[in-house]
Amino acid sequence: MSDLLNIQNLEISFQSNNKNLKTVENFSIHLNEKESLGIVGESGSGKTLSMLALTRLLPKQASVSSGSIIFQNKNLNELDNKNFYKEISGKKISMIFQEPMTALNPVHTIGKQLLETYLYHNNVSVEKGIERALEILDAVKLPKYKQRMDQYPHQLSGGQRQRVMIALALINNPSLLIADEPTTALDVTVQKEIIQLISDLRETIGMALIFISHDLGVVSQISDNVVVMKNGEIVEKGKTLKVLEKPNHPYTQGLLDCLFKLEDEQKKNQIKDTPIIKVKEISKSYKLPAKIFKKPEIIYAVKKVTFDVKCGETIAIVGESGSGKSTVAKIINGLINKDDGEVEIKGQNIEDIEISDRAKIIQPVFQDPYSTLNPIHTIGYIVSRPLTINENKSESEVKEEVIKTLRLVGLSEDYYNRFPNQLSGGQRQRVAIARAIILKPQILICDEPTSALDVTIQSQILDLLNDLKTKLNITIILISHDISVVKYFSDRIIVMYNGEIIEMGNTNNVINVPKDKYTKRLMSSVFSLKKNDIKFT
Amino acid sequence: MLRFIAGRLIVVLSVGLTLSIVTFFLLNYVIDPAQAIAGEDALFEEIEQIREQYGFDRSITIRYFEWFSGIFQGDLGISYYWNKPVISLLIDRAPETITLALMSVSVTILISIPLGILAALNPNSLIDRIALGIAVTAQAVPNFWLGLIMILIFALAIPIFPVSGDKTLFHFVLPSIVLGASSVPAVMRLMRTGLLDVINADFIRTARSSGFYGWRLVFNHALRNALLPVVSVLAVQLGNKFGGSVITESVFAINGLGRLALESILGADIPTVQILVFVFAIIFLFFNLLADILNAYLDPRLRL
Repeated sequence: MSDLLNIQNLEISFQSNNKNLKTVENFSIHLNEKESLGIVGESGSGKTLSMLALTRLLPKQASVSSGSIIFQNKNLNELDNKNFYKEISGKKISMIFQEPMTALNPVHTIGKQLLETYLYHNNVSVEKGIERALEILDAVKLPKYKQRMDQYPHQLSGGQRQRVMIALALINNPSLLIADEPTTALDVTVQKEIIQLISDLRETIGMALIFISHDLGVVSQISDNVVVMKNGEIVEKGKTLKVLEKPNHPYTQGLLDCLFKLEDEQKKNQIKDTPIIKVKEISKSYKLPAKIFKKPEIIYAVKKVTFDVKCGETIAIVGESGSGKSTVAKIINGLINKDDGEVEIKGQNIEDIEISDRAKIIQPVFQDPYSTLNPIHTIGYIVSRPLTINENKSESEVKEEVIKTLRLVGLSEDYYNRFPNQLSGGQRQRVAIARAIILKPQILICDEPTSALDVTIQSQILDLLNDLKTKLNITIILISHDISVVKYFSDRIIVMYNGEIIEMGNTNNVINVPKDKYTKRLMSSVFSLKKNDIKFT
Repeated sequence: MLRFIAGRLIVVLSVGLTLSIVTFFLLNYVIDPAQAIAGEDALFEEIEQIREQYGFDRSITIRYFEWFSGIFQGDLGISYYWNKPVISLLIDRAPETITLALMSVSVTILISIPLGILAALNPNSLIDRIALGIAVTAQAVPNFWLGLIMILIFALAIPIFPVSGDKTLFHFVLPSIVLGASSVPAVMRLMRTGLLDVINADFIRTARSSGFYGWRLVFNHALRNALLPVVSVLAVQLGNKFGGSVITESVFAINGLGRLALESILGADIPTVQILVFVFAIIFLFFNLLADILNAYLDPRLRL
């Protein structure tokens, strides 16, 4: 096999306040034709930046300060921008991105976008271009691809848009495709299809692939070699199976531990038989804005959902986006009103409980710790708010309580006077949890509490929640799309689809012997990396 | 698309109908039309005689229906002040205002769009600062003052343009610049922020990764998305130019609708005033409708 890409000692620095900050150092990778390479690391590790440097898409403040890039025996550093864009971008090296919802231009048809990219790099007639566009849309298995040419991106689903995005990247038959977390924003069931598609197309087109991901499980499925990055440096590289089997660097080991830990059995809470929450046939529907001359359409977000949660239990609600799982959580939390049905908390109808009393029983933790903390207040203030609103305590008592709670979630007293922007994502989520538990609620509703966080942080937050669960004997309702988190964490699983519960049962039963067709699909689409899997070298 | 336009048209028509009712009733309640015709010093008998003669003693609702149905037959009423049918006044004066409005909006577009694009492509550069400077100045300077200064410089000190009047297109150059300049800040800033947002959007990164760069990237991939808010605000500005050119028309002695409105108000000429208010409102609605349609053409997501 011949060389395709050879990057030596790449260094990327950021210009900020007249200082040069090196963000990527000593980045060297080598790729043969038709080979695939996975780059793994958390956000901020420089995995995306190094690839943006290769495709000359770096943000304005960043620049390549040294290093050589040899692509197809050509030194790319000697190519000026104009020639690079004309000869390499989109023609030899293509890239697909994480967010398919925004990656396509909303004001142009699919056909126009494909056609323009093809005609720009190839001197052929429009008819030939349309032919090629149809051919590639068929190749990415876009359903009803012939009609899609005249459609706009907003008329397609996320998975379909990512297929179009892949078509756009492959229309010029590139030698190298860079995929930057192409499935992270998609539902799990769609994820698997897209990864399969990329893998198949690589074979048929015969191109090389660089796959960037934070998910070792996904990377192990698709790449021959793997590179692990941390803080702008490569800490480990080698054949994927070898690295997974025998990691040399403690960081890689840590990443693997986080994955494997999710397989381990958990110590469980004492579960009492008395239900703490009773949900009976709740429904919630939305009216779409009325159009002239047309009846308003009604969409059911939740349709006659019934379940109990026992005291001390951890129950997980899973399903893809739009399945109604968050709506159920919001109804139980009293954040939105239901149309129909009953919710009882500790034997009391939810409407009959005063809001301030409800706050002491049930508290939420949300997904995105970057937007759930008010940036203009200190951590101490943020955590103290539920106390000052709901309980009559002196200032010193409140402060004492806040610091005690901060310690409980693993943050020292020093954080009291800091602001949210001085904290990392994981620390912010700890603050959000502290705010939720300061009133000592019996129920926590966690809506995707870890999905915005990196893998290693994710496992720390899960550990914390687990710890608190037993210490404070809290009942937890966990909303998640991540089956491995659910498996690790919950006693029972509720599977929702289109606003209805389609399966409910013990975690192990649902995961190992799913009954419903959709649940089966959901479970089979998880790329779990099992210890046993690696032993086949 | 046709459904979309039909829907919008219904909205425009109902707003227009409401407006006709509001203008007619407001004017005819606030001012006694008979008194307005007779003059301030008229005797009570004289006023009553006029009231009977013109039919003002009939119910206001009946008079509204007469007036409103008249509009559809081309009968806009008779001006008491000018002693002419209102329609002939409109036909007389409209060309001046239309010329002025179109020319001044062209001035706005020619200055603000390129400046906004350049500023967005080079944020915080010298050109961005200059553009911002122009915007702040243009916003701060009052219209009449700019008009007088322009006359002093470009008509008296360096006599390139005529001082005032509306005989040739040449006469409209200075007033168009004055009137057009007032809209430059709003449009330029929208163009700048709009394009700046789009340039940083994911789909522009996609286009760049496909090899597009430079002006081709800006014009083929970014501009259309950034134009949406600009189109909406230009429509409002164009509507403003029709109704709001009173001061500029006075400074440059242009006999347009703005001056007609001013003179009719001073003469308490209800038939002319109510038609003018109605016409200005309809023009405003029309341009907004046009902007909606244009935006729906530009962005398929708006075609609902």
